[in-house]
Amino acid sequence: MKPAPLRYARPGCIEQAVGLLAAAAERGRILAGGQSLMPLLVRRADRPGLLIDINRIPGLDQIEVLPAHIRMGALVRQEQARRSPIVRSEAPGVAAALAWVANPAVRQRGTVIGNLTANTPGAELPAVAIALDAQFVVRTAEREQVLPAAALIGPEKVVPANAMVTHVLWPRCAARVGFHEVARRDGHAPVVSSLVALGVNGCRVSLSGVCRTGLSCPTVARLIAMRLPGVPEVGDLASALRDDLVGPVYSDAHSSAQYRLEVAPVVSQRAARMALEELAA
Amino acid sequence: MISEHLDVRMTVDGRTISARVPVRYLLCDFLRERARAGGVHVACGHGVCGACTVAIDGIPVRACLMLAVQAEGAAVMTVASLAALEGDPEPRAGLTRLQRAFREHHALQCGYCTPGLLVSTALFLAQNPSPCRTQIIDHLNGHLCRCTGYANIIAAIESVRR
Repeated sequence: MKPAPLRYARPGCIEQAVGLLAAAAERGRILAGGQSLMPLLVRRADRPGLLIDINRIPGLDQIEVLPAHIRMGALVRQEQARRSPIVRSEAPGVAAALAWVANPAVRQRGTVIGNLTANTPGAELPAVAIALDAQFVVRTAEREQVLPAAALIGPEKVVPANAMVTHVLWPRCAARVGFHEVARRDGHAPVVSSLVALGVNGCRVSLSGVCRTGLSCPTVARLIAMRLPGVPEVGDLASALRDDLVGPVYSDAHSSAQYRLEVAPVVSQRAARMALEELAA
Repeated sequence: MISEHLDVRMTVDGRTISARVPVRYLLCDFLRERARAGGVHVACGHGVCGACTVAIDGIPVRACLMLAVQAEGAAVMTVASLAALEGDPEPRAGLTRLQRAFREHHALQCGYCTPGLLVSTALFLAQNPSPCRTQIIDHLNGHLCRCTGYANIIAAIESVRR
């Protein structure tokens, strides 16, 4: 029994789940796929008082098409989203990024919203959500709000302990996308990853692993859009990136800040090339 | 409704197992200690290595990243159910098609990672009976093997694809 002692509840609806969160006074955690949360528990890096298992709440596993968005519930698995024809055609950036998340077995259990809200440095999806203006439907015992993803998983931001993200809304767009990353081992959190989406208000670029949280890079995106149909040089991308940095560059035992800054423009350049190939095809 | 102990009931390789367990009891420990399913190998214990992979209602799951109470009502299949997972009702000389391929290609040495690999590869091939080499490698990203260097595992899986 590696996790510290805890209690467990299996609510049947969202109202019960957020009621339990409120009663747990900051010590409750939502358990969906568990692929980010359980490793924290078995290492005792987190010791929640109460696990709220939402796996039996009906309806949260749906991917729906709304007029302007693709809406995914908190139980939509990463592999389910990656394979969904709707996601591939209406939110191609999400599908492209998901192909790089973990491995097929973990993706069949891990959820899209779990990956987003865990917001691990380097993780692919939070950066994509911020760059593509995704929104969260956030529920507490008192109210429901729709907030920009950047308000909850951006720099210095966290999902409040009394709130449950019940849905994510991805703007529908017919962009051509390229996604690339450098990881120490395939299928593990990357050192740096980048999405380049051509055709969403010109161009959108995301980077993970450079700042502590996912980063939207409007200056890099403008540069890429300006140089079409070519691709900017790495040096030019590197200088553009400096204007997009928010806070200090992230570093850990494996990759220094300097290395991340060197790798990031190369990764973005490759993603831009892939997006251009898509555009040509 | 909120509790530190819960009754849990599931089928493990076709047998019904029920017990009252602390909620923090991990599924991998439950399978080994309560269901006596020794084919569930626990190595890293935090979801990296894939050795404890079992099939739950037909989906590959790392048993170390799931609580036993979460498997309430589920059908759990370990490597002991490999013949059923492969749809191979009559294994030859006690070995399934995948096991024979692993043996013929020297796809195991110490064998610690093998049960998890067999379970998840059987599920992988059920979904995609003729994977290309890239897809096989992508699938193997979920498993650590410290002996073989993976080349022989890839060869074994290539030999059974249709």
